[in-house]
Formats: sequence, structure tokens, C-alpha cells
Amino acid sequence: MANLGEQLLNALTLAGLLFLVSAGLSLVFGILRVVNFAHGVFYMLGAYLGYTTVTLTGWFWPALLIVPPVVGALGAFLESSTLRFIYRRPPIYQLLLTFGLALILEEALRILYGPTAKGIDPPAYLQGAISLGSLLYPRYRLFVVVLSLVVAVGVWVFLRKTRAGLVIRAVAQNSEMADCLGADVARVRTLVFGAACALAGLGGVAAAPMTTAYLGMGIGVIVDAFVVVVIGGLGSMGGSIAGSLIVGAAQTWGAFYLPETAMVIMYAVMGAILIFRPWGLFGEEE
Amino acid sequence: MRRRDFLRAAVAGGIGASLGSPAFLRRSWAQSGPIKIGMPAALSGAYAQYGIQAKRAAELFSKDIKAKGVLGRPVEFIYEDTAGDPATAVRKAQKLVEKDGVKFLTGVALSSEALAVSAKCPEWKVIFMSTINGAGALTAKAFHRYFFRVNTSGPMGARAISLYLAEGPMKRFFALGSDYAWGRDSVASFTTQITAAKKDIVGTDYPPVGTKDFASYIAKIRQSKADGVYLALPGQDATIYLKQAHQFGLNREVKPIMEILELENMKAVGDAMVGAIGSSRYPFTVDTPRNKDFVKRFYELHGVYPDMFDGETYEGLEWLAQVIQKAGTDDVEKVIDTWEDSSYEGLEGPFFMRKCDHQAVQLGFAVEAVKDPKYPHPIPKILATYPGEKVTPKCRTEDFS
Repeated sequence: MANLGEQLLNALTLAGLLFLVSAGLSLVFGILRVVNFAHGVFYMLGAYLGYTTVTLTGWFWPALLIVPPVVGALGAFLESSTLRFIYRRPPIYQLLLTFGLALILEEALRILYGPTAKGIDPPAYLQGAISLGSLLYPRYRLFVVVLSLVVAVGVWVFLRKTRAGLVIRAVAQNSEMADCLGADVARVRTLVFGAACALAGLGGVAAAPMTTAYLGMGIGVIVDAFVVVVIGGLGSMGGSIAGSLIVGAAQTWGAFYLPETAMVIMYAVMGAILIFRPWGLFGEEE
Repeated sequence: MRRRDFLRAAVAGGIGASLGSPAFLRRSWAQSGPIKIGMPAALSGAYAQYGIQAKRAAELFSKDIKAKGVLGRPVEFIYEDTAGDPATAVRKAQKLVEKDGVKFLTGVALSSEALAVSAKCPEWKVIFMSTINGAGALTAKAFHRYFFRVNTSGPMGARAISLYLAEGPMKRFFALGSDYAWGRDSVASFTTQITAAKKDIVGTDYPPVGTKDFASYIAKIRQSKADGVYLALPGQDATIYLKQAHQFGLNREVKPIMEILELENMKAVGDAMVGAIGSSRYPFTVDTPRNKDFVKRFYELHGVYPDMFDGETYEGLEWLAQVIQKAGTDDVEKVIDTWEDSSYEGLEGPFFMRKCDHQAVQLGFAVEAVKDPKYPHPIPKILATYPGEKVTPKCRTEDFS
């Protein structure tokens, strides 16, 4: 029983981190119709800035509060200074641009921080393991589960229950019509892009105590995040949640029960979904 | 952009990332002028730390050799970034050979890259000098005349730590190796040797390279009730494992035994790493006059203490330069003949290049990560030193007698 519980928590932790990254990726595609290859780098940036903040202040919490807005602001700036001008071009332009941004940011981080991974310690009372019945589980991982749950609920409430969320959904559905009805589409796009980057940055800060901040963490996570959005359906928040849970479970349980095929399972699930529901579990058929 | 475009774009992006410019086909052999050494090293991406170590060593060596040169000719390093990808490594190596005319390739970081690049060297007629690559196959199944390994191999590291463990109290071991040539080789070698010492392997797993969550493996290791876990994980993977195992409280129950105990890990993991043991190919704490001088000069140039591959790459370059000097030419065939069965006084002790498989026979070390107030991070403390004959496999094999 303890074993099953541990496997479940492991899957939830990984799903939580994946959600923080894939939610933004999905949101950006839904609103901007752009596949953002640079998204993983904002996650990495979050982890590195988290390290800097923790080093400067000696505290973990400021990192969690300060870093996401900073990463978000950078994202919004990059959107309004580069991406904005090529929305009407063929998708390959956006692909090249975001891919280029990813390379530039990654190399910039390498030059700034050097090749050595940067470790962060979680706050004192989240260090070590807590016993849940017969199970010993790291406190910090439980925190990551709770954090991502709170964010998921927050994003959902924002999109469904607020006026700003309504405008965002309107732009996602038909940006020209929303424009005609008085929505400032350009501004919505910038803000959504920034918010998505902020979420990725938050994911990076949350991940850093578990994985350290290291070069290449952005590339690693973006592949999984793409699988999540393909499974869940592009542009769908529910899809991101479902996709994260499926990929998290496939990876952790695969590694535990069928270690030799752990890598294959995730892609097999994705393949099956692409065959039977090419638009993803929660996506809309086109 | 619609969904189908997304998929198409994602595929195109993937292909674009893995392809590059076509190989250069021109040949231009330099007869005089500088002696060129090509370094197709992983300078970016997840394994950049290894390529950067090779580059740091080359920078110090450049500085040291500048005054006298080799054969009166200057030594020139040409760096190319492989990002840790075997296909890119081959392409960059080909560019170095065919366009730049280098006769010596070194600084290749990953064993997977080394196997791919080394396979091409007999055709290119250039020397591949490994200073980092651990895969046993390089001096066994995949061996050829143009390949030289100056560094301690994975099986040799496994041997050193097995000899140490054979005398220790730990009985049950779990083996965790990255799912590629070096990880699998090391685990196989460790398994053979530890069972020969009448100890048990209670579980084995091969996590994929780049695993970011080891929770499932940690659960399995805990269940196995092992005394120690043997880890053949490259740089970043090892850092993540140690960090997470510490958070799960596993490091107290199951002692981490590293195939390579690196400074990079010690810097990133910090105090949570103290107590981990392992083999080291070059512990910078070796107490020889040559090494003390090297560490001092390395620190002056780079502001950090030399890690394993800093030391081993420097030794490789110094040895290669001595061999070229002795051969009186940089002609590849003559350099090979001179290098075979030659000796060299390295930083940590004597080296001997066996003719039969071009594996350098050298000291093996078992070390432990300890805290020392003089240093900003844990450092390797030498637990045991083994003579070269004890830690070098039989010729062209990965077996020990």
C-alpha cells in the first residue's frame, strides 16, 4: 500500500511540474497560434533566477514571488518586440524566431552562470522527509503537488470566472471577431505570452530544489511539455491537466514497473491518442 | 496555425535541429606551420561541463607550451561544439580533419560520441586521443590502431572501487547506470567484479540519459534493502539523483558509490554529497609536487579547482606533445609507433601506453567526498590507491584476471 501511495505521489509531483510548463505552452498556442519553442528556456530561466534570488536574499519564498513576474515581463517584452510582427507570416517564421530566442537565452545563461549546475535548498521546514503512515516522503515534493494544484485552480477560475478570462477566451475562439467587438487583441496577446512565461518561470523555481538549475533543462522539459499538449489538446487548460497527469504517470510508473520500456510508454500513449483522437483528449475537432 | 501545422512544424523543428550544414569535402594537409589539435567537444547543452573541462585544460596547456612549442612549431587548438550529439560530433570532426587539416582529435566528451568519431579515424588517418571517454569497448571490441586512451576507463574505475568494496563491510548492492554505452559497461563490469568478491547485486536499472525525476528508482533502491548503490550516471544526472535521494532520506540508508566522483557534482549538490564514495580518474587532492604545481597554476588561470577531466586532458596533451617531440615529426604513423609502449610521468603518477590496446596503465583511486573548510565545496579525499596493473583490464577486453 505504501508503495502504491508513493508511486501515486511521485506521478503527481512530476505531473505538477509538467502542468506549470505545459499550461503556458498550450495557452500561447490557443491565443497566439504560435508554437513557442522558447517556452522551455523560460522554465530554465526561472530556475536560474530562483538560484540568484535565493543566493542574494538567503530565502526561498522571495524567489517564488519575484521570479515569475520578472520572467513574465521578459516574455512580454520579447513578444511585443519580436513575435508581434510576424503573426501573419507562415508558421515557419514563428518557429524559427522562437527557436532562435531559445538558443540565445540558453547561451546567455551559460555565459552568465557557467557550466556548473546551481543547487537551491528548499526552506528549512520543507527539507527532509515526512512520514505518512508507513511511507516516508519528501516534504518539498508534497509542496510542489499543492503549489501546482493551487495554480491549476487559479488559472481555471481566472479563465472561466473573470472578465479578463472571458476576453482571452474570446480572442482564442476568433481573434478578428473579438477585435471588432473592442477587445485589444495585441495587448491580450502580449499579456498572455507574458503570463505563460511567468508560469514556466514559476515551474522553474519550483523544480530547482529537486533538479538543480542546469543547462539543458529547458530542452528536456519542452519535449515532455509538447507530448502533454498533444495528448491533452492544444489550447485547452483541462487538456494540459489531463495530459500532465498521463505523462507524469507514464514516466514514473513506467520507470518503476517496466524500466526497459519507460521511454516508449509515453510516446505509445501519445501515438494511440493521435490515432483515435487526433485533436487530443480535450482539444476541439477542426 | 492549425493543429496539423503544429505537428508539421514540430517535426520540422526537430529535423532542423538534428541536421546541419553539409560536410566539407576539401582536403588540405598542413606540412609545416602550427601543429593543430582538433577538439570536437560538447561546449553547449547538457554535457557542456565536460567539453568545457577539456577546453580549460587545453587553455592552460597552450599557455605552458607557448614559449617552446613542439618541434619548434606552435601548437594550435581548434574547438568545435558538438552539443553532446554523436552525429554532430562526427560532422564537426570531419570538418576539423578535412577543412582544418588536424591530425589529432581529442576532447570528445561522451562515449557515444567517441565511438562514432573513433570509428572514422582509420579512414581519416588521424589519431583519436581519449581523455574523457569511459566505454570499455573503445579499447576492446572497437579498438583500432588510431585510437589512444590516456584516461582511466569505466571498467577500470569500476575495478578500483570494487577492490575497495571487496574489503569493506557492505554486502548488498544496487547498480544504477545511465542507458548508454558508458553506463551499461560500467554496471556490467561492476556486477562481474563485485559478485567475484562474494557480494550480492540485488537490483539493476538503466534510467534514460537526462532523467529529471529519479523518484521511481529511489523507491526501488529503498525496497531492495541494499547497503550501497553503485551509480554510473553522467554529470547532471548524478547531481539530480543525489539531490533527490537526499530529499528522500535515502543517502543515509543506502550509501552512494559513484563510478566517477566529480567536483561538478560536489559543487552542485553541496554538503548533501558528503560521505559519497567512488572512484576518481584524477582527484585534484593527490599529493605529488607535479600535481600541487598544476593545481596552483590551474586555479590561477581559471579561478576553480581542476576536475577529473581537466587533469586527464592536460596529461593527455602533455604526453602527446612529448611523443611528437620524441618522434621528431607529426606524421601520424610515426607518432603512433613512438607512443606505443612509451612511458610518461603524469600529475598523479606514472603512465604507460600499452601497445596491445592503447590503454594507458595508471593508478586507480577510491575516494570519498569530504568537507574541508579550506574549500568552498566538498573535495575528494583519497581512501585507497591501486597500482596500474591491478586496475587495468586484460588486453583488448573488459575483464580482469
